[in-house]
Amino acid sequence: MTITIINSPVTVERAQSVARQDLHTEPWLVRGIIIGVAVMFLTVFVVLPLILVFSEALSKGVGFYLAALADSEALSAIWLTLITAVISVSLNLVFGVAAAWAVAKFEFRGKTLLVTLIDLPFSVSPVISGLVFVLLFGAQGFFGPWLMSHGINILFAVPAIVLATTFVTFPFVARELIPLMQEQGSQEEEAAISLGASGWRTFVVVTLPNIKWGLLYGVLLCNARAMGEFGAVSVVSGHIRGETNTMPLLVEILYNEYQLVASFAIASLLALLALLTLIAKTILEGQIEEGQLPRDD
Amino acid sequence: MTIEVRNIVKQYGAFKALDNVDLRVADGELLALLGPSGSGKTSLLRIIAGLDWPDAGEVSFDGENALARGAGERHVGFVFQHYALFRHMSVFENVAFGLRVQPRAVRKSEAQIRARVKELLDLVQLDWLANRYPSQLSGGQRQRIALARALAIEPRILLLDEPFGALDAKVRKELRQWLRTLHEEIHVTSIFVTHDQEEALEVANRVVVMDKGKIEQIGTPGDVYDNPATAFVHSFIGESIVLPVDVSGGQVKLGHRPLNIDAGGAVGPSKLFVRRHDMQIGPVGEGALEGTVRRVRTFGPIQRADIALSGDDTLVEIDAPRDRPLTAGDAISLQPRRYRIFAGQE
Repeated sequence: MTITIINSPVTVERAQSVARQDLHTEPWLVRGIIIGVAVMFLTVFVVLPLILVFSEALSKGVGFYLAALADSEALSAIWLTLITAVISVSLNLVFGVAAAWAVAKFEFRGKTLLVTLIDLPFSVSPVISGLVFVLLFGAQGFFGPWLMSHGINILFAVPAIVLATTFVTFPFVARELIPLMQEQGSQEEEAAISLGASGWRTFVVVTLPNIKWGLLYGVLLCNARAMGEFGAVSVVSGHIRGETNTMPLLVEILYNEYQLVASFAIASLLALLALLTLIAKTILEGQIEEGQLPRDD
Repeated sequence: MTIEVRNIVKQYGAFKALDNVDLRVADGELLALLGPSGSGKTSLLRIIAGLDWPDAGEVSFDGENALARGAGERHVGFVFQHYALFRHMSVFENVAFGLRVQPRAVRKSEAQIRARVKELLDLVQLDWLANRYPSQLSGGQRQRIALARALAIEPRILLLDEPFGALDAKVRKELRQWLRTLHEEIHVTSIFVTHDQEEALEVANRVVVMDKGKIEQIGTPGDVYDNPATAFVHSFIGESIVLPVDVSGGQVKLGHRPLNIDAGGAVGPSKLFVRRHDMQIGPVGEGALEGTVRRVRTFGPIQRADIALSGDDTLVEIDAPRDRPLTAGDAISLQPRRYRIFAGQE
C-alpha cells in the first residue's frame, strides 16, 4: 500500500502535463475522456485507499484510535520499526556512499558486476531475501550450529530483522548517488587533491556538499522502504508478539484477527509516514535541481 | 623549475596513450602540447601533475623524482578545461581553498589568506566577483578564477588542460593574449595542452607536436611551421597541398609527369607537401605542374583558386596575391617555391 502512495506524484504530474498539451491540440471530447480516465484511475487506486485507511482507523472515534496505538504490542512494534529503520538506514548510508563513490569515481575490473549486485535486492523477491537469511543463520543453516553453540540469536530476533531490512533497502542510496556522482565527474576532487587537500578532506569539503541533496533523497526513500518492508522481515521475524513484530507485520496480524480498527490505526501511521516522505521528496527534488551547475555557458 | 620526462609509457587496455615519450622543459618556459584528440597530450599533462601514473618511465622536477610524490605534494597548479570550480563555494573560497588546506604548521593566518586572495583576484582582474558563486560567472570569468585558484598555492609549475577549449572564439582570443602577458609577469614554468594550432603558435615559446602517443616534433612556433619534421606535422600545422609522388633515381614524378624538383633524400612512393601560398603561378610551360583554374574567390589581400591539375584532374586549392588576377578557365602552370617531400604513402 505504501508503495502505491509513494508513486502517486509522478502519475499526477504526468496526467497534468498530458492534459495541458491536449488543451491546445485535441477536441474537448478527447480531452474530457482522457482527463476523466486519469482522474478516475487516481481516485480508485490512490485517493480512495488513502481516505479509507484513515476513515476505517477513526471509525470508532478518536479515543479508540489512540487506545489502539497506545496498546503495548503496538508500541513495541512502533519501537522495533524505528530501531530497525535507524540502524539499517545508517548502515546503507555508509555502504551506499562508499559503493557510489567507488563506482562513479574509479575505473576497476568487475565494476559492471558490482553495479549489478547493488541492484540485486530490487530484482529478488523480498521473500527470497528473507529465506537467504534463514539459510545462513537458521538452526540448519550455514552459520546456525556455530551461532547456537555460542548462544547468539540472530534468526527470529531483532538482528535478523535489521539484516533483512538492510539487505532489501541497500540499493536506494547507491542508486540515487551513482548517476549524480557520475554526472558531476571527478574534476572537482582532482582539483582539490592537486591543491593539496587530503582524500578525507576532499570527500568532506568537496564531494559531500555536492551530493548532499541527492544523499538526503536516497536516505528518505531508504527509510520509507525500511519502515514499510513486509516480505523479507515476515520470513525472518518469527512473529513473536511484543518482541519481533514490526508495524507492517502487526497490521497483518491484527487484520487476520478481525481487529480492523487497531489494524488500520497502525496502517494509518505508515500511510502518514508515506505522506510525509512525499512532501519531503518534493522539496528535495527542487533542491537537487537547483544544486546543479550548468557546465558551460 | 625544469621538468624532465623520460621514456613515459601509458596504456589504457589495448590503446597506447603514450609510447616512450621524452621531454625536457626549461625553467620559465611556456610550452604548448599540440595534437589531435587521442594523441596523448592530456595523458602526459596529467602524469606530470600526478593525477595519473605512467606504466613505465620517469618524471623529475629539478632533477628530483616527482613520481615518488602524490599530486598534492608536487606543488603543481592545474587548470581544467571545464574549470572544475567548487560549485558550492564562493569565488573567494574557491581561490582560498589551496591556502586553507595547507598543513597547520605552514598555514597562513586568516588575514594573510584574505590578503593573498585579494591579490590574486586583482591579478586576474576579477576582485569584484569575490562573493559570487561559479554558476553566476561567464565561462571566461570562471577560467580566470580557476587560474587564480591554481596560482594561490604558489605552484612551481602551472599546467593547463585545454584552458580555452570550452570558450567562444572572441573570449578565447582575449584570454590567449592575457595568458601570454600573465606568464611574462609571473614567469612560472607552464605547459598547456591544446588542439588549436593557432593558439599554440601564438601563445607558446616552444611547441611540442604529438600524434598517436609520440612526439613528432619539438620546436619554436616558427620552426614547426616552416620546417616541419614529419609528414604529420606538415599536414597538421597550417594548410598544405599534398600530392602523391614517386621518387626514383633522384627524379620526382607525379603520375608519369617528371616535376624537375629536388627529391631531398626521399626514395620510392612519397608525398609532396606545399603550403597553399607557396605555389607560384606562371604561364603554361614554365612550371613543374600544369592545370586549369576552376573557381576563384577573393579574401582581402589574397585570391583563393581551385586548380584542376592536368592529367588526372586532381583539385588543389592555392592562395595567390591579387596582382595577377585569375579567371575560371585559365590554363596556368604551378611551381612550388618551398616544399617538402616525405617518403611513405600513409
